[in-house]
Amino acid sequence: MELTDFFTDYTLRTITLGTAILGAICGMLGSFAVLRKQSLLGDAISHAALPGIALAFLITGAKETNMLLIGALVSGLIGTFWINGIVKRTRLKSDTALGLILSLFFGFGMLLLTFIQKMPNANQAGLDKYLFGQAATLMEKDVWLMAIVTGISLLVLLLFWKELKLLLFDADYTKTLGFNVRFLDILITTFIVLAIVLGLQTVGVVLMSAMLLAPAAAARQWTNSLGTMIILAAIFGAFSGVFGTAISASQNNLSTGPVIVLVASALVIVSFIFSPKRGLLFREIRFRKNRRELHLKKTLTFMYHIAANHENISHPHAIRILNNFQGFTRKTLTTLEEQEFIQIEGNQWAMTKKGFNEAETMFNQLGQEND
Amino acid sequence: MTNAQIEIQAIAALVAVACAIPGAFLVLRKMSMISDAISHAILPGIVLGFFITQDLNSPLLILLAALTGVITVILVEYIQKTGLVKEDTAIGLVFPALFSIGVILIAKNANDVHLDIDAVLLGELAFAPFDRLLIGETDMGPKSLWVIGTILLITLTLLFLFFKELKLSTFDKGLATTLGFSPVLLHYGLMTVSSVTVVGAFDAVGAVLVVALIIAPAATAYLLTDNLKKMLIISCGFGVFAAIGGYWMAHFLNASIAGSMTTVLGIIFLLVYLFAPKQGVISGFFQEKQQQVEVSLLIFLLHLQNHAEAEERHVNHLREHINWQKVRSKTVLELATKNNLIQISDDVVSLTDKGQEFTDEALNYITTNKATAIEELKNRFFLFRG
Repeated sequence: MELTDFFTDYTLRTITLGTAILGAICGMLGSFAVLRKQSLLGDAISHAALPGIALAFLITGAKETNMLLIGALVSGLIGTFWINGIVKRTRLKSDTALGLILSLFFGFGMLLLTFIQKMPNANQAGLDKYLFGQAATLMEKDVWLMAIVTGISLLVLLLFWKELKLLLFDADYTKTLGFNVRFLDILITTFIVLAIVLGLQTVGVVLMSAMLLAPAAAARQWTNSLGTMIILAAIFGAFSGVFGTAISASQNNLSTGPVIVLVASALVIVSFIFSPKRGLLFREIRFRKNRRELHLKKTLTFMYHIAANHENISHPHAIRILNNFQGFTRKTLTTLEEQEFIQIEGNQWAMTKKGFNEAETMFNQLGQEND
Repeated sequence: MTNAQIEIQAIAALVAVACAIPGAFLVLRKMSMISDAISHAILPGIVLGFFITQDLNSPLLILLAALTGVITVILVEYIQKTGLVKEDTAIGLVFPALFSIGVILIAKNANDVHLDIDAVLLGELAFAPFDRLLIGETDMGPKSLWVIGTILLITLTLLFLFFKELKLSTFDKGLATTLGFSPVLLHYGLMTVSSVTVVGAFDAVGAVLVVALIIAPAATAYLLTDNLKKMLIISCGFGVFAAIGGYWMAHFLNASIAGSMTTVLGIIFLLVYLFAPKQGVISGFFQEKQQQVEVSLLIFLLHLQNHAEAEERHVNHLREHINWQKVRSKTVLELATKNNLIQISDDVVSLTDKGQEFTDEALNYITTNKATAIEELKNRFFLFRG
């Protein structure tokens, strides 16, 4: 398969467009899920959608995608509200509620699927693509549906931007200002469920949650602004959708879901490590730099105390007398010399005027802070 | 029942019990979703182990896969510790990635691997009796029965040995630490047992439904009792019931056994969720109602105590004064009369001696900020509850 195929081949173009839009909407709404600490809700909802798909098929008897998705939507929403009910009305905590709904709905869905598979009319093949997703089955009308839903959710986001942002960061304050928190809550949850349902055909119920989380978690590392984060998450999502589909399309026998998830996870790893402000790499570098500086200052202070006992501050001393002090290495000494704080001659070191002043001011500053 | 049917039910029941025991502790420790993460993340371990051993029931494969489970927990905890994302996001990021690797490994080696995606999600309980353990020429029964039996035996031994420590560290981590038990050791011990159990059960019921077997019986039992031992016993009971009930449901519907077991668990949970005596939704509804009436009664009694004059205590006047609807004032009046707290003569309500005493004590509790003690007070005075 050539790269140009993406622009010439009709089917491929549809699929690419579809996964790009899907990635974008997932990233966008996933940002809210991540920031609202509802990361695992997506996992529960996507699993809870399975019996809806199977029941919709059993009732209508046809494999009409839209009907199946409506079934998924209904059962996803029932799952979500039941989770809320369990948390609110019993002493079970939210993680147990999520795990319960996830596994029980999914198990029921699998029961129905295996039941359907063994039914005599053979129209049922292909329902199991909803387990791991098969982007190749995307059709133009599916892509239109995705585009429309994305458009609507974008519109709603812009319309309620201020309220949603406030709700994210300070729910109690939002309530005291008189906004209808319950309405906003249901609004954003409904859109998250919608995004999940849209992705079922492409990514599948098992891995849909990662599609929601990974782009948002990656985007979170690069910025502290909600707007930027959502845009970045949408871009990351679209990228992993397109790239993942391309890889899985070029191989036989490979569901799209796992590949897309792996691409998104790779993005997360890169962001975790290389993000300039929060990333692990730069954090480690900053940490080491601080530690080095601290060592340097400690050495200089130690030298200052020795030099202060002599009339001539530049009186040379043996390096050996630093031995009972742990903080110095050959490297720190060279650095100190480069900064012209000390002079080294053979096995002897001598403090310069500059180094003495530096240590003295540092010492004074420390003293003042302690007072 | 044929021999194979009995064997399948025995395996299912053992799996259910083996899952329910660590499940109870996971639910109480608020770590249910970790079981979800483990059950997905062991897939690459199982596939790699299968490449090496070519046998799904080999002990080496089980250890390797369980190790993947423990590594997952460590990885999740590492990501949580970096503070880059919130806690639950760490779980949600790690397991789909590992699961995807497993699925891709299976898909790429579909020809050489006797493992398929359906088996990953649903397990192959129906085929379990065909893989038999042979020692010499003797048939010792299905291999998976031995595997899960061994795991269950180990779990039970550990449970009896460390019950006290587990209980303490589950309910009061701080006290456990000060008494010298290592919460870290217990935590990773529990995680290891959970991983091994998940791997053992994976073969029978698949990745997602293991989660149901771990969480659902424990959560259901938790709604029924406050006692850890009872909770463990009840959850094992539910597990076994679901295993056997699920088998027959699958038999009649001609559908997946694991799916039916989960569905039975779901039905049990739904029933308990609705009808549990203390924690259930319906009893919660009645408790709320009772509370409402009793609070009204207390307000009413306080009002009576405050007003000595007869016209303030007239039945009709009360309705206007406290602004209750007719029905509610009637229930409150009836409740008060039934409990001998008031007496009504010529439509004028007055407190009895008992009512006076009750009101005084209640007022005392309210003003000294010990309002919780009123529940005990009600138990002493009330013959009938609202």
